[in-house]
Amino acid sequence: MSLLFLRLAIALYSIGLLHSFLTIVTRKKTLFRVALFGICSGFVTHALSIVFSWIETKHLPVTNYHQALSFFAFVVVLAFLVSYLWYRLDSLSVFVFPLVFILTLAAVLIAPSQTPLPAVLKNLWFYIHIPTIFLGYAAFGIAFAASIMYLIQENELKRKRPQAFYYRLPSLEICDELGYKSLSIGFLLLTIGIAAGALWANKAWESSWEWDPKIIWTFITWLTYAVLIHYRLYAGLRGRRAAFMSILGFVFVLFTFLGTRYLVSSNHPFVER
Amino acid sequence: MNFVLVGVSHKTAPIEVREKLVIPEPKLTEALVTLKSDPCLEEGMILSTCNRVEVLVSASDIPEGIKQVKTFISNFHQLSQDFLQKFLYDFTQVDAVKHIFRVASSLDSMVLGEPQILGQVKTAFSHAQTAGTAGNGLSHLMNKAFFVAKRVRSETGIASSAVSISYAAVELAKKIFNELTGKTVLILGAGKMSELAARHLASSGISHVLVWNRTYQRALDLAEIFRGEAIRPEELFKHLERADIIISSTGANNFILNRADGERIIHRRRNRPMFIIDIAVPRDVDPEINKVNNIFLYDIDDLRNVVDANLKQRQREAQFAEEIVRQEVESFVNSTKATDLAPTIVSLRAHWESIRQQELAKSRNRLGTLTSDQEAAIDNLTQSLLNKLLHGPISELKSLSHTSEGQVHIETIKRILGLKDR
Repeated sequence: MSLLFLRLAIALYSIGLLHSFLTIVTRKKTLFRVALFGICSGFVTHALSIVFSWIETKHLPVTNYHQALSFFAFVVVLAFLVSYLWYRLDSLSVFVFPLVFILTLAAVLIAPSQTPLPAVLKNLWFYIHIPTIFLGYAAFGIAFAASIMYLIQENELKRKRPQAFYYRLPSLEICDELGYKSLSIGFLLLTIGIAAGALWANKAWESSWEWDPKIIWTFITWLTYAVLIHYRLYAGLRGRRAAFMSILGFVFVLFTFLGTRYLVSSNHPFVER
Repeated sequence: MNFVLVGVSHKTAPIEVREKLVIPEPKLTEALVTLKSDPCLEEGMILSTCNRVEVLVSASDIPEGIKQVKTFISNFHQLSQDFLQKFLYDFTQVDAVKHIFRVASSLDSMVLGEPQILGQVKTAFSHAQTAGTAGNGLSHLMNKAFFVAKRVRSETGIASSAVSISYAAVELAKKIFNELTGKTVLILGAGKMSELAARHLASSGISHVLVWNRTYQRALDLAEIFRGEAIRPEELFKHLERADIIISSTGANNFILNRADGERIIHRRRNRPMFIIDIAVPRDVDPEINKVNNIFLYDIDDLRNVVDANLKQRQREAQFAEEIVRQEVESFVNSTKATDLAPTIVSLRAHWESIRQQELAKSRNRLGTLTSDQEAAIDNLTQSLLNKLLHGPISELKSLSHTSEGQVHIETIKRILGLKDR
């Protein structure tokens, strides 16, 4: 049931994806409405998929890669919808929808495996540590999209030969503001998530750190964003360099999330082995 | 749906001809009344702007209508028809509908997408209404034209990019800062050019103006105009960092700002972006400064390039607009077809006429020999009886012809009398 709804969701997301590309190419606003409808209904279907999966596993379904990817894609859509309500940027969709689509597609392609959650993980910390980190990552995803938009628009303005993107993207100020706000929210959530994880590990195993790759990469990610925010606050770092750093940060997010499974082996307990 | 449009525009006639054909506003009512006095022309309006003079009428006979409008134009301006023939174009029926939609949507304008034309078309129509020369048919058409123009404006980007250098500069500033409220502009060189550029920015919400000039008094004078602040000649570098936007047009022969200055300023501004518009020739600002992060430098040629790109952008958008016009012409033609009364009225009359003839033939034998006068009297009697009876219903139908209700009535009449369109 959960998989069925997920497939339905990806079908709806693909409409959104297609239409948002068309929106950029043809600039017809009517098409964006359709795209937005596709994404919203995909979001509802996706939510149902997660609810069914939750009922089946009897806990928040994030304990294998199939579920984790699906949940990640879901919170990215959530973050997009929130920022859309705030800023009404049609063009943001063009950079977020492909990400949503790829994450959901990966979730559909990876078969779910049934590994029961170890008893040691079933407690309140589980519900603090994991959702905050996921939401933080989703906010970084929005910051990533805003940074790409910034770089494209900045390039258009520096080259002085306006092309399609110059007309369709928002101002540098807005890209920068959206990027920085998302990043700050993401950083706050990630910090809370990491702290909760540390306390949880301390309680569960009564030893603090096991320096496995996942934890190390999470720290590298956290540090990247910490440096970025620090320089923003104390030296006014912004614009091109800030956008590059934000993109780098999100590459680390994706690596922490995916790479630690496929490229280096991780023992981080919440993922399937 | 028997519209006729005759006119000249910047596409067919040079200014020397167009200026002769202009009908100034005070003379418009007189012109409209003269136009409608022709029995063939049922309704009419006149659009007269500096780029076009067009007369739109609905005529009972189309070729005659074209002829009469042309005669009207030549008589009104006392110009020979032979002379005008080269410049006048005419559109009829669907083509006239399409043309007026394109004009109202600014697709036929000299500067594609310019916003004034819609207002001018609206004024022309309201003049016709006041003069009593615009009836149902024309109102129906023009309301649709205004709707099409609105659709084109909101659904395409035909009017969304700047096509003059000053507006292009304002637009670029907005692409950097989003909005200009609260921003500071610094004017270098208190000349006419910089004053003009600053005026455009000021009207877009700039809140603070700084003026610097080699002679302090000139700076003071210009600053006063904008209620801004004059900067002493020797204090320029102290104030540079305060400016979000710099407009430079001094008479200096060398660069007054170079890359190193740019780097220093942007550092002091904590990387807040800066937009420099260099409209001086020779240039005031070293083009290398554009390579500094968060500084955007545009000289006069760069701005021209942006305007060119914007014009191309408008042409691309115009294709979508043409598609909208095509759809709307189709929908307009369909809507008028639905309420076209002529066939119903013709068959209604024919129906009663055949009954009259039958009854007349039946009674004729019983009346015996009649003089030709008496025969004519009977024929007249029945004829006028029929006309009196039909007059009420037909004029009622005509007045309803532009409503959906009219369509319902037509259907009812056809059903009751078993009529078919001829």
